[in-house]
Amino acid sequence: MTPELEQTLTLLSSHRSFLGYILMSRGHPYSIIRHSGAIFEGEHGRKYARAVGKIVESVQGSLEELGGDGNDGDDVRFLRIRTKKHELMISPDDKYLLAVLHDPSTA
Amino acid sequence: MSDSVQAQRRAEIEAKKAKLAELRAARLGRQKSPATPPPVASVSRRDVDDLINSLVGSSSRGNGIDSGDLTPSSSMPGTPALGQPTSLPGPSGLNTSGSGRASRQSDFASDRGSLGTTLVHSTSGTDHVIDRVMTPRSVPDLVDVTQELFELPQRERVVYNKEVQTMTTEPESPQVYEDEIRQRVLAERDVEAERLAREKELDEESVQLDKEIEEEIRELSEDELAGIYSAPEFLQFVEHSSKIVQRALNDNYDIVRDYTIGTETGGEDSEGRVKRVCEFSDDRYVKNRSITAVDWSPKFPELSVAAYNKNPAAVNEPDGIVAVWNLHLLQEPEFVFHSQSDVLSVTFSPFHSNLVFGGTYSGQILLWDTRSKHVPVLKTPLSAAGHTHPVYSMQMVGTQNAHNLITSSTDGMVCSWLVDMLAQPQETLELVHAGHSKTSEVAITTLDFPANETTTFWVGTEEGNVYQAHRYDRAGAKAGLNQYDVYKGHSGPVMGLHFHPLSGPVDFSDLFLSCSVDWTVKLWRAKSLAKPSTTPQTIAPIYSFDEADDYVYDVKWHPEHPALFGMVDGSGKFDLWNLNTDTEVPVVSTPVGSGRAINKLAWDRKEGRRAALGGSDGRLYIYDIGDMAVPRDNEWNDLQKTVSSVLGGAQSNGTL
Repeated sequence: MTPELEQTLTLLSSHRSFLGYILMSRGHPYSIIRHSGAIFEGEHGRKYARAVGKIVESVQGSLEELGGDGNDGDDVRFLRIRTKKHELMISPDDKYLLAVLHDPSTA
Repeated sequence: MSDSVQAQRRAEIEAKKAKLAELRAARLGRQKSPATPPPVASVSRRDVDDLINSLVGSSSRGNGIDSGDLTPSSSMPGTPALGQPTSLPGPSGLNTSGSGRASRQSDFASDRGSLGTTLVHSTSGTDHVIDRVMTPRSVPDLVDVTQELFELPQRERVVYNKEVQTMTTEPESPQVYEDEIRQRVLAERDVEAERLAREKELDEESVQLDKEIEEEIRELSEDELAGIYSAPEFLQFVEHSSKIVQRALNDNYDIVRDYTIGTETGGEDSEGRVKRVCEFSDDRYVKNRSITAVDWSPKFPELSVAAYNKNPAAVNEPDGIVAVWNLHLLQEPEFVFHSQSDVLSVTFSPFHSNLVFGGTYSGQILLWDTRSKHVPVLKTPLSAAGHTHPVYSMQMVGTQNAHNLITSSTDGMVCSWLVDMLAQPQETLELVHAGHSKTSEVAITTLDFPANETTTFWVGTEEGNVYQAHRYDRAGAKAGLNQYDVYKGHSGPVMGLHFHPLSGPVDFSDLFLSCSVDWTVKLWRAKSLAKPSTTPQTIAPIYSFDEADDYVYDVKWHPEHPALFGMVDGSGKFDLWNLNTDTEVPVVSTPVGSGRAINKLAWDRKEGRRAALGGSDGRLYIYDIGDMAVPRDNEWNDLQKTVSSVLGGAQSNGTL
């Protein structure tokens, strides 16, 4: 864990409406690299991680279907899911995934 | 019929299995790509594979049993009578031609099946009874039981009546059979439903498998974590994605906001028309530094750039820092550039949105590219060919196809550069003032070109005078400093000089403002280029704004509103003046930040609603002036009146 990485994540966590983040590896299967915030602790955090994994895979799958047989399929870059209480933001790349939960009403 | 249904099901599951395998292979491929951390214990994958196999395997076995149970035709071939009803093409033809309802189709199937089993059961092998059984089947009463059966028995009757003709039909009560058959039908239906349910379960199971693979969240071991943390691509990912998320976080707009819910109005929103939008500061890069220059991106209105001097507490960090800030990303700069010397001036290239130029204390001109890393992509050599003194001022002049970067240093050197060739200046011009009483050196602190002018410019100097200079020889004037015209008014170094931007029906491009450490801002009218002076003369300012109580570090005309300008001073005030409203006091005076000096001011390039203020506390403040940025139609004419009235005042003052 380099200090730069630590600092970047601290910076992210310092946002007013921030509730927590999960850093995951998009391997097979998904695995949690790191998480923060009370909401992502323990079993509940794993549940969240599973849900996030499922969402990303399903969206990516749909995109691939839409792309057809050709290799011009699209990739997910950013997902923003607004729920009644929170907002979940997911930023995936090929190998990793960052999910941040925040409460927009406090922003 | 049900056989084919079964087969179809099996095929589906087979396809699903193949898809699963494919999926797994794809994942495997992803994992195998070299940089991936080595995680995925193959053992666990094998576990999952076993799980899949056991589930899929067992279910297919169960399926086989089901089909044995449920396909009546397979258990039937011994009875000749039965072969016919099952092989009858009639019902299936009816099915397809009949109503398209799926439920109906299954009804047919089950009904036929029930007929078959009924026979087997009741006959128990005796041909005689078979016949007897067959007969009631042909009784038309059956038709009344279910409509779907209507066609079926009719056909059968045609076939069977011939063979069975000899038999005397005993009018046994058809009711009994009917009841029995009905019960069979019901029972068979139940079985059928059960079978369907089980198949459904099977499907779900395979889907579930899929899900389980997705859902499985693995714990990483220490080694794997260490591997991930040390992977450069992981660092890059975190850097990149956290930036994206922060932009979204800083959006501060709740997209599901309900405007029907009333909230208390008033409060801070209504106070003052100049509002602080945000402030940029960062402990990592720009701690203990002061801002020396600011600029806005010509392409992206949310991007601004600030140059910083050295951090005396951190000897290992680069002396000069340039940070590009994004209004949507408050916590850290979008880009950070390094310099070996303090950066004193900075400008975005107006023609290439990726390029940022900086002038340094050492005299080097640096070019950074946002597509590149921290270090400059081009820099001028430290030689006598270019600048060897601090470069406090630079400006890009010209057009998209022919532009130069003009830079000036405090030894009086003015260089012109081609932006893609910083190895040596295209032109150099040394400003000297031969007739000066003390020194011939012209210490340039600031420089500006009038709007649409590329060859003649004005410079502010450390001694306080402002001079005109030409880049080239021109109608009666030699290249270099115009020694005859001395704009004398400031009693301290000139910190800022800005010509009126050309933006309206009346041309004010000969007006310029200057500010100085003598606590004043002065308004000047530049001498016409068409009539060069031949004898030394002193030009006085047409107006002086003496409101400030500290060094005035920068002054800038508003880009849209002709009568509006802003100034920043050493006490941390941001004053907004509207010459049409008042020439004695600023229309709005805003204390900025902690009260430490504000070094630079820059209006955004589009509408001029926002001002970027660079503080000596290292913070870049962004202020919004709201509707004050929007000029009324008569603003230009009003300014003309204002200028002529102050001109009259200045002249009358001069005569006194």
